[in-house]
Amino acid sequence: MPEPNAELSSRQVEHVARLARLGITPDEVDRYRDQLRKILHHIEALNRADTTTVPATAHPLEERNVMRDDVREACLPVEAALENAPSREDSYFKVKAIQE
Amino acid sequence: MRLFQRTIHDLHQMLVDREISSAELTESVLAQIEAVGEKTRAYLLVTRDLALRQAKAADERLKRKRDVAPLTGIPIALKDVLCVKDVTSTAGSKILKGFLPPYSATVVERLEADGAVFLGKTNCDEFAMGSSNENSGYWPVHNPWALDRVPGGSSGGSAAAVASGEAIAALGSDTGGSIRQPAALTGIVGMKPTYGRVSRYGLIAFASSLDQIGPMTRDVVDCAVLLQAVAGHDRRDSTSSQRPVPDYLATLRNGVKGMKLGVPKEYFVAGMEPAVEQSIRDAIGLFEQQGASIEEVSLPHSDVALPAYYIIAPAEASSNLARYDGTRYGFQAGSGRNLIDEYMQTREEGFGAEVKRRIMLGTYALSAGYYDAYYLQAQKVRTLIIEDFKRAFTRVDALLGATSPTVAFPLGAKTQDPVAMYLNDIITIPANLGNVCGVSVPCGLVDGLPIGLQIIAPGFREEVALRVAYAFEAATEFHKAQSPLLGAAA
Repeated sequence: MPEPNAELSSRQVEHVARLARLGITPDEVDRYRDQLRKILHHIEALNRADTTTVPATAHPLEERNVMRDDVREACLPVEAALENAPSREDSYFKVKAIQE
Repeated sequence: MRLFQRTIHDLHQMLVDREISSAELTESVLAQIEAVGEKTRAYLLVTRDLALRQAKAADERLKRKRDVAPLTGIPIALKDVLCVKDVTSTAGSKILKGFLPPYSATVVERLEADGAVFLGKTNCDEFAMGSSNENSGYWPVHNPWALDRVPGGSSGGSAAAVASGEAIAALGSDTGGSIRQPAALTGIVGMKPTYGRVSRYGLIAFASSLDQIGPMTRDVVDCAVLLQAVAGHDRRDSTSSQRPVPDYLATLRNGVKGMKLGVPKEYFVAGMEPAVEQSIRDAIGLFEQQGASIEEVSLPHSDVALPAYYIIAPAEASSNLARYDGTRYGFQAGSGRNLIDEYMQTREEGFGAEVKRRIMLGTYALSAGYYDAYYLQAQKVRTLIIEDFKRAFTRVDALLGATSPTVAFPLGAKTQDPVAMYLNDIITIPANLGNVCGVSVPCGLVDGLPIGLQIIAPGFREEVALRVAYAFEAATEFHKAQSPLLGAAA
């Protein structure tokens, strides 16, 4: 396990928040840093388990390669899909500029 | 006894005998919501008009004696994580305020097809993340047994509704204990089926490899009836199992004589309240009297289940919740300078503290340099937990333990300490990671607060868990105890 997680830094918290597209205030950076440190400290216990020869489980499914028949089916109508859009124009979701 | 105090199976008989109508029954439950709703705050939305319309349609079916199912005309509450077409569904989050789903969850469609009556959407921790219902984006729920205490979570609204007579039964969802723990803390029955037993189509996702929808009811028969109605393959959820669904009522009354029941020594965790431990030991004694053989077993990786869960569930959540960016549905901040800024402001204002904490935890665990140490290690630990259960189930038919190490705690007692809050689920989480099923049944009261007994059975052996649960219920009176809000009306 990476060493420095018990000392998760404010910069790391800001970086993670940015990756997660979460705006946070400077106060929150400090609060989340302290709380996440405590949680990560608890999670360190994962190291107690010897997993050198253990395969990972990503999901518990028995089914493999579930396919449906290759036939055309009705999908959600455009109006229904756009019904909850906070902003729209014609048949599109409207978003802010990606580049300024 | 008033109508809203009764069980599904009891009311079904009365409906079929035309002793009562679904309209009368529905009015009775709606009146109880009026009477105590401000005390429990169990509902985010009461769908009165829809309920009365469905009740009327159910009465037609009952009158014609056609297409009558065990749930025809029965008023049921739905946790707010379940989508109902054109009925506001928010998962307890402000970021989904006003969201009108364009389609219904499969479980909702199945209940509709059976002629059930929908009372409304029950409160829950935001995106089902929590163990006390205090993380709701709207308001906390109060425990009907003691209004200054939590009902458990995350399906706390569903649990409080059933325990207070504001619903005959409810559906919840369980990712790490969110059906079983609130069931225990409010003195009702709650089951987490095996992953894949119930379709997740239309369930607002939290952690997709762990989430399961399940019943919350007044007794074990009702639990079997409600599970029967929603279980089974659904082509719209490719993770739902194609295994046939057994008749859960057929084996319910077979008793435990000759069965082998295991007691995992690790489940008597540090910090368990003595009264809880005593109730569980008494329950084990009762099974022995009923002719079951009791064996101590070991699930040696139980202590690493909680840390593994707090990597896997937040990692999956951080991915699932990426869709809430203010573009396609729900809340939009509207004040961002550009697209990224708009995303960040929308999510800052729309999500609550616990959801943000878990998104950051999950994002961190999946980020470059940390993936192997956290996420991959947690997935390997998950394998060890699955193997623990497999080994135990070569020796015994089912496992017995507490559902929660404590009874309901006061509102506000753990809100400042996330780790203390997470420890509530220490003996429910392994069943989610281990892909087995579990049910909580009432097994005692201490100082007027309910205690839950957890029965865990192998994957897709819900009938075994229910059979053991029924044997306990049939030999005890604990399930008949009513919360002050429910009993006072008698």
